[in-house]
Amino acid sequence: MIKNALRILQTPSTSSVHFRNLSKAPSASPSKPEKWDLLTAICVERKPALTPPLTDLEKEYKQYLQEVEYERSLKSDHEMKLEAEKKVLESLKAGETIEDLDVNLKQTAQDFADACVEELAQFKPADRLTEADRRNDLKSLQRKLDKHLVLVVQQRIGKEKHFLLPQGLRQDGESLRQTAERVLKENCGSDIQARIYGNAPCGFYKYKYPKDVRGGGSGGAVGAKVFFYFARYLNGRLPEKDVDYKWLDRKELYKTLPAPYNRSVSEFLFDE
Amino acid sequence: MSVSNIISNLNRLSLQATVRQAVLYRNISASSAVQFRITPSLLAEPLKKKKRLDPAVIRAREERRKKKIEKQIRRLEKNARQLKPIDECEVSLQILDERDKRVRHLPSVSPEVLDKRAKIEKSWCQYKQQQHLADVQMLDRVSFAEQKALDELRKESEELYQQAIQPDFYFIPFSCQGPVETLPIENYDVPDGDYVDVSKKWE
Repeated sequence: MIKNALRILQTPSTSSVHFRNLSKAPSASPSKPEKWDLLTAICVERKPALTPPLTDLEKEYKQYLQEVEYERSLKSDHEMKLEAEKKVLESLKAGETIEDLDVNLKQTAQDFADACVEELAQFKPADRLTEADRRNDLKSLQRKLDKHLVLVVQQRIGKEKHFLLPQGLRQDGESLRQTAERVLKENCGSDIQARIYGNAPCGFYKYKYPKDVRGGGSGGAVGAKVFFYFARYLNGRLPEKDVDYKWLDRKELYKTLPAPYNRSVSEFLFDE
Repeated sequence: MSVSNIISNLNRLSLQATVRQAVLYRNISASSAVQFRITPSLLAEPLKKKKRLDPAVIRAREERRKKKIEKQIRRLEKNARQLKPIDECEVSLQILDERDKRVRHLPSVSPEVLDKRAKIEKSWCQYKQQQHLADVQMLDRVSFAEQKALDELRKESEELYQQAIQPDFYFIPFSCQGPVETLPIENYDVPDGDYVDVSKKWE
């Protein structure tokens, strides 16, 4: 469906600028309302699984809080035991004989502390960097676990191919949200599941078609209005064939998208 | 009964108003001494005869209601006796006794360290304030983008706009699982055995 819609735009055109800043585009006569194609794009975002690393100030503040907490605290049972044992040892060294033969038999507090430290040293928490990070695999969902990743799909607009959010034309009788759901299915396969946030579009972008295409096969529309829907990735994978896609964090996303389009997208996305 | 009463009262009121006017014109007296009476109009139909219920059924109903209330009372009484202890709020007596022994005798903090701490506090305040400001601005920007999209949609089609502004109740009540510092290790063999929740159940 979307490919058909976009193929219409593939009629030979000399201008390669399809993403045009609308404010500069000449407006048609006010008497006749312009016809616009309504498109829906869906912004699928994967939530980060890991917390972002602490900044220097955050680390410093954490350290400070820990120090203050230690100073204000009372001694724990373990510390009391440790001190008591120390006293016993000192008095033993001094030559006093206390009938404490079972001291050697049981595990002392110091032994317990040593064992704990050793166990902690042996434990290695899971790596924050994954295999996908090392290979820089843009298609993997396992990359950049502490970042929000947005799905972009390669699509033909006119003659050129662009990495854009999955988008498609609205069909008659559909609400925009239903279009968004259908667009996701058609572009990214039926395996991937995402939860759309709300019925309202969260962003808007419009562009005019090049002059020689305008009013031709696309039913006389002068351009397209794209309504963005935000969705949270739930699970599932994209098909390996047919679709060229990438999962990008914010920086990469803003570099990849065409500039005017990017302005609209970055407006509704949350900062990291 | 009460409804018909009210109606008749109202009727009388309205009639008397007209009658009083008539009195002025035609010199008719409606005082009680003349025994002039206005019949209230009867607009209600006779009431339906109340259905007779079997006394056994009524008794059974009453019984059931009584039992239900009694059960509730019993449940309340049972719970009143059993209060959930708040362990974390109750300091054990042993610790209270040893409080003096447990105080740490640390050397007092040097003025340099205090200075440094004050600086950290200040820069933390600034950091948090900037963070908050950025958050508010970001939310503003995002809601502005949404409003703009809705406005543009309304220009195109009122119907689509109406569909778009319907609330989506899926996220109420909202819950989410936050990010963690490190991911759980897959197939991790727990050295200390299985995790069994032994905390007491308080109902």
